[in-house]
Amino acid sequence: MSEAVDLSFLSDVEKDLILQVLQRDEELRKAEERRIRRLKNELLEIRRKGAKRSSQRYSERTCARCQQSLGRISPKANTCRGCNHLVCRDCRSYGPNSSWRCKVCTKEAELKKTTGDWFYDQRINRFANRLGSDMVRLSLRHRSAASKRETVGQTLLQKAQLGDPKGSSAARQKSPQEPRKVPSLFPDASDPQEGKSDTESMENMSLDGYRPAPAAGGGRRNSLDKATTIKEGKQVAAPSGPVAASLTLPLPSRNVLSATNGRETLTGSRSSTLVNEHEAIFKKNPRRVVRPTDYTKSVIDLRPEDFVGESSSMGDRSKSVPGLTTELDEEEEDIDNLVEIHRQRVARGSMRSGTSSSTLGSMVSIYSEAGDFGNIVVTGGISFSLSYEQKTQTLFIHVKECRQLAYGDEAKKRSNPYVKTYLLPDKSRQGKRKTTIKRNTVNPLYNELLKYEINKSLLLARTLQFSVWHHDRFGRNTFLGEAEIPMDSWNFDSQLEEFLLLHGKTGVDAAGLPQYKGELVVSMKYIPSSKHPGAGNGRKGKAGEGGELQVWIKEAKNLTAAKSGGTSDSFVKGYLLPHKNKASKRKTPVVKKTLNPHYNHTFVYNGINPEDLQHICLELTVWDREPLSSNDFLGGVRLGVGNGMSNGQAVDWMDSMGEELNLWQKMRQYPGSWAEGTLQLRSTMAKLRP
Amino acid sequence: MASATDSRYGQKESSDQNFDYMFKILIIGNSSVGKTSFLFRYADDSFTPAFVSTVGIDFKVKTIYRNDKRIKLQIWDTAGQERYRTITTAYYRGAMGFILMYDITNEESFNAVQDWSTQIKTYSWDNAQVLLVGNKCDMEDERVVSAEKGRQLAEHLGFEFFEASAKDNINVKQTFERLVDIICEKMSESLDAADPAVTGAKQGPQLSDQQAPPHQDCAC
Repeated sequence: MSEAVDLSFLSDVEKDLILQVLQRDEELRKAEERRIRRLKNELLEIRRKGAKRSSQRYSERTCARCQQSLGRISPKANTCRGCNHLVCRDCRSYGPNSSWRCKVCTKEAELKKTTGDWFYDQRINRFANRLGSDMVRLSLRHRSAASKRETVGQTLLQKAQLGDPKGSSAARQKSPQEPRKVPSLFPDASDPQEGKSDTESMENMSLDGYRPAPAAGGGRRNSLDKATTIKEGKQVAAPSGPVAASLTLPLPSRNVLSATNGRETLTGSRSSTLVNEHEAIFKKNPRRVVRPTDYTKSVIDLRPEDFVGESSSMGDRSKSVPGLTTELDEEEEDIDNLVEIHRQRVARGSMRSGTSSSTLGSMVSIYSEAGDFGNIVVTGGISFSLSYEQKTQTLFIHVKECRQLAYGDEAKKRSNPYVKTYLLPDKSRQGKRKTTIKRNTVNPLYNELLKYEINKSLLLARTLQFSVWHHDRFGRNTFLGEAEIPMDSWNFDSQLEEFLLLHGKTGVDAAGLPQYKGELVVSMKYIPSSKHPGAGNGRKGKAGEGGELQVWIKEAKNLTAAKSGGTSDSFVKGYLLPHKNKASKRKTPVVKKTLNPHYNHTFVYNGINPEDLQHICLELTVWDREPLSSNDFLGGVRLGVGNGMSNGQAVDWMDSMGEELNLWQKMRQYPGSWAEGTLQLRSTMAKLRP
Repeated sequence: MASATDSRYGQKESSDQNFDYMFKILIIGNSSVGKTSFLFRYADDSFTPAFVSTVGIDFKVKTIYRNDKRIKLQIWDTAGQERYRTITTAYYRGAMGFILMYDITNEESFNAVQDWSTQIKTYSWDNAQVLLVGNKCDMEDERVVSAEKGRQLAEHLGFEFFEASAKDNINVKQTFERLVDIICEKMSESLDAADPAVTGAKQGPQLSDQQAPPHQDCAC
């Protein structure tokens, strides 16, 4: 069942055997995760090349992928049905039955196959025909989507590796909020660090202070069980009848049991309950409901008061704490301002992206950033090798040499080059490493080792940047070129020497291209008015009031660190465009000190008719909260039909594509069901580049 | 208890990255119907008549070439015994395919199929595909479940059906390959469905999502 898989009933021999299996699985999963990262990076690369991204602009009549002019063609026949772009013949891939899509969409589809996302992403609730309100709660518990590929093995392995001392279960039960320290199921399992994989530790990060032993186990039902287990004692049976009650009852007695049994743990006690339930399920699938105590929700209802009452009767969800929203209101961020900034940055970035593929290939590019340094024609390259040492969690960069560098001092035809590295996006002083300076050579031989102590999972989210500088004793140092390597596509198994050509400097932000800002996991559900849970309970909802859009902000992953110490205090803000005002604004609480925050918060928008879904667009932005100054923008998404139109008007913001678009459509297709997606955060909320 | 896990699996499995897709498959069914043997026959082409009860869970990896693609299969073998149920059901989530197995010489294992299928529906994700397999079809003399009965039940549950023998290597490969094919079909289908048509999403839910009939009336 859920993460609370109890293995305490196993003998030590059995545990050992299972642990071995789990470890093999772990290895496999790690390899798989690396493969997937590599694949996803390839896609980003391809996307980057096709600069035209957003809604159609028929007026422009250029191919969205290669920018060739299309001449006079009918838009209809030349629009990719994946992304709605006009695409020339050369940029298409034909499938069977002569249907086609543009190359990016084709690649995207292919990627879904190769990564398995087609399966892991599409989890529309098959229990949709159940009582709606039950389903809400049931799915609200469903936090497991955190890591869609996660297996129970991870959980168990992790528990084993945490190696907590036994007997602390009593304390634990008093503070179920510290769920991570679930006592070990394998108390004798050795080194707690040793086997910890990168993926797992990434998992841990996201777990910090939040989840109980991580999600795992079987399916949506988990969510429920989890709820029971996490919040035991606090849980309240929902008003949907005896089934719910039956769930809570066994717990106390189990706890007693667990207290007496020396190695019993909280988990143990939970899952013995689960076993019982489990049997029950096996027989007849009982429906169980718990109150989601750890779930918060802010509802700003646009409808008349009495209808609010109606909706609150539908469930026991903890509703909006008004203070929550007002509290955050004061630090109103000026998104437009930010959009402006980001637009500028993007402009710079895209300037590069036009030439990006060639910069690496060409020996020459011009560096001309206003003011600071001279104009240098970048030449040459750098050779190096990388290795990562698990034991010390250290990245070793062996900088071997540079060849054919440009002259830093053109007049004297000399260079005193040194190499500097960063692990972008960290450009702080602490993140800087330098080699020594070699005098008077354009082919400096360094053979120096630069080290970064960094957790591997964090490392994979970074981009290693080399920059080469001419050291001028009396003046400014002169930039001689740079090169970047996204760490997630690096094969650390190979310690072969690499040679990369240097290229010129581009916008600061462009350095980390492709601009990976992390991901947002969102589940959405549209409940047409007739299917409204209130009505489901026999109390008729007011007809004609429209449906309800529920946006469940689950978590974000791999956010950019905005605070020192490599973390962010983030929250998500939502607007339902075209209304960008207080009425449509929603915010999650701030989740502090993590780059993998679990918000687990639902925005609810009422009074939405099915046909509205064609015209509205949900804008979700992630911010780092900075109480004393303006919040930092960390990324965002827009969910809508992506056709550039709303209520007959051309609008900039209706620019969803790819996964954003898919999720929106999925939600529309299956009213009453949660549609979940993992969305790449955009690095800017400026309209996606046409 | 079994102590075979460590010795019987090689180390080579996780390293090979040379494949296109990775599918996770779970074999479930009552204890002693032959799940482990079935897997061993498929993955190692070996067979041992001795019965060793699987401890909790186990898996093997096999890469096959199918439909012009290299497909890496991670095949989970589960313990049939009830006492491991909490562990095994945890693996339903994330499995793209199931082989639900019974023993044609064991009525009880056949009667349990209904319950297993309920388990799948409870714990697995949508889109998961299921094959029903009647194992030990070499033991014709001791047969108690007719092929016809198996077929009918499979049809009722909306699964495809095979009779097979791990011992005599009958239909083992076919079972896995068929399952892989079904998963591939599902994959294309689901990607097509997810593809938002320009005209608006009119495709609606795929009927085949409900390949298994909602709820059964029979067998308790």
